[in-house]
Amino acid sequence: MSGAPLPWGRRFVMCPPRHFGVLYEINPWMRREVSVDPDRALAQWTGLVETLRSAGAEVETMEPHAAVPDLVFTANAGLVNASTDGSGPGQFVPSHFRHPERQPETPVNAAWFGARGWQIDRLPDDVDHEGAGDALPFTPDGGTTVLLSGYSFRSDASAATELSALVGCPVRPVQLVDPRLYHLDLTFCPLDGRRAIVAPSGWDTYGRKVVDALVPEPLVLTEDEALSFCANSVVVDRTVVMPAAPPRVGRQLEAWGFEVVECRVDEFLKAGGGCRCLTLALDTVLSRPRRQASPGSGPTSPTGAPRATPAQRARSTRPPAPRARP
Amino acid sequence: MVATETIEVTGHIVDSLLLAKILDAILDAGCDYEIEDVVIGKTNLDASSARIAVSGDEDVLGPLLDDLQVHGANRTAQVDATLVAADRDGVLPAGFYSTTNLASAVRVDGTWLPVDNPEMDCGLVVRDGRAVTVPMHRVRAGDLVVVGSEGVRVQAPGHARDTQVFEFMASEVSSEKPKALLVEQVAARLRASRERGGKALVVAGPAVVHTGGAPDLARLVADGWVDVLFAGNGFATHDIEANVLGTSLGVSVAEGVPTEGGHANHLRVINEVRRHGSIAAAVDAGFVTGGVMRACVLHGVPFVLGGSIRDDGPLPDVISDTVAAADAMRAHLDGVHVALMLASTLHAIATGNCLPAGVETFCVDINQAVVTKLADRGSHQALGIVTDVGPFVRQLADHLVGSA
Repeated sequence: MSGAPLPWGRRFVMCPPRHFGVLYEINPWMRREVSVDPDRALAQWTGLVETLRSAGAEVETMEPHAAVPDLVFTANAGLVNASTDGSGPGQFVPSHFRHPERQPETPVNAAWFGARGWQIDRLPDDVDHEGAGDALPFTPDGGTTVLLSGYSFRSDASAATELSALVGCPVRPVQLVDPRLYHLDLTFCPLDGRRAIVAPSGWDTYGRKVVDALVPEPLVLTEDEALSFCANSVVVDRTVVMPAAPPRVGRQLEAWGFEVVECRVDEFLKAGGGCRCLTLALDTVLSRPRRQASPGSGPTSPTGAPRATPAQRARSTRPPAPRARP
Repeated sequence: MVATETIEVTGHIVDSLLLAKILDAILDAGCDYEIEDVVIGKTNLDASSARIAVSGDEDVLGPLLDDLQVHGANRTAQVDATLVAADRDGVLPAGFYSTTNLASAVRVDGTWLPVDNPEMDCGLVVRDGRAVTVPMHRVRAGDLVVVGSEGVRVQAPGHARDTQVFEFMASEVSSEKPKALLVEQVAARLRASRERGGKALVVAGPAVVHTGGAPDLARLVADGWVDVLFAGNGFATHDIEANVLGTSLGVSVAEGVPTEGGHANHLRVINEVRRHGSIAAAVDAGFVTGGVMRACVLHGVPFVLGGSIRDDGPLPDVISDTVAAADAMRAHLDGVHVALMLASTLHAIATGNCLPAGVETFCVDINQAVVTKLADRGSHQALGIVTDVGPFVRQLADHLVGSA
């Protein structure tokens, strides 16, 4: 039994790697002494664009900036909540990066979305979250969309509360435990309404249970498979575009009726990014238009007094979160 | 020392197992929790929230709460204590914070100041960057007094300090324990306290003399096991009477029979000591040749004799202003680790009121009601031993004297 195809993944924004390079080290894959071959990087990036287009996706591009080499990883730009009622493109929550090296990307991304009519909603200054790099939606067949959000290396657990209040869908934070799999999108790739590629070695025991409960039919990666970045894939309908397809993983995907396309992006793996990291879907829908809040819906205190929204409360009471740097 | 802090966590904490993870982490760290408030979202779209009081050893709690913050659980906002200046001497501002005998801390300018001298039923005054308990009558106009309970943290009595004692203390009041074992354990606590450099306080009632325990208590004083003595006019009088005239309240201590004209013996003794001017002078003059009071004088052990309305005499050393007597007692409490209440009801309770909760208190009385009364008045840390005080003191002296 196959699930309903992913409702998103037909429109992406990408950023050509004209200024891409390993200029700093903020994850275990980055080594400044390793040089990037700019021509090869551009060729691989162009190859990915063509692969996605031939799978049926639209790809828009964003202008690169010399000061921010990682802008090429558009998955980390922010979180997209596309509109379904034609009232505009939708909502965009720009990332709040933990590492100062990447923080200048935020205004660039916000400007790009803002100029195209997206509503920009920001996280509080003291909460880190790295967008679609650390949060991917899963919509079980017949169920509600749930945003799975990774935390510890780049994003704060408390961001889940903020995001949930902003985008209006349940957000389930999952603790990431392997610094080599520092973003959720290295451990989780939704395939359809029943299936996802999952790398439990990247999560704590609670996180594994949360995903178990959410995904009916997971394709469970071994640690070695996960470290090949094969979960960092882009799904366009029934096509899975992968930076690497370990034989067992490829066979399972094909058995489930997916077309597997390997797309070399090893120049970007030098910076710890794969196919998914190079793309940001513009058509993810996280919540339907808000229902009008009716009396009795939503949390109330036992005394019946209205409660502050999580975001209000969190903002007013939180001391700065401690920063754990891998 | 056990501390308690409150944390809050909000979001999809049930579905994401975050709440379970946080509670597990608290227990794994050896701490305990109480969920003060929890609101579970009605649908899976609604967020839930929980407010959790976490208690545990101070050294463990801080790092644990830092870890929990990584999972999105934040300490609830903390506020400074409200300080109001007393407007006149001897009167606390309305709404003053009334203290317990537990170790406490006051938050001033974002810093928790530990309370120097925990004592129940006092006001809390902040001066020169320190927090101190001050009995009502000693408050002076202008003292900054804590009002309300915000910004005051009270620490539950510790479990971590010394398991052995607290297992022992957990046995509470009982008249059906093997007495020899209890005596041995009290002796062990006195030894342990002395090794740590702690002081031992004895509060003695007249029954110590009536039951023939005075010579044994005197042995303990002479051998350095008592660092300070609290008593009343009765104990000191009968101790001296027993030494000078061989009776306690007219009854022969050696033979247990009333002596002729004995009913006035204690008055004659008081009269003679008054003639000397003080107990120490009576000892120096050779009028008192034995007993507990003489041992205190000879070995430099300070004593406080608190007066009461029914006292005969009283002895010249008795402080008949009860407020002044209580202040005199307080002056000797610093450094006391063990308190031994020997067959004394009123002085034991008065002392219990002044003692911080951390002091190991043993209450020895033939009457279970006295022991219970001490506990009921808030001295929860008191261990009661229901027994005849004379033989108890003798066995205790046999254990300790000469064993140091």
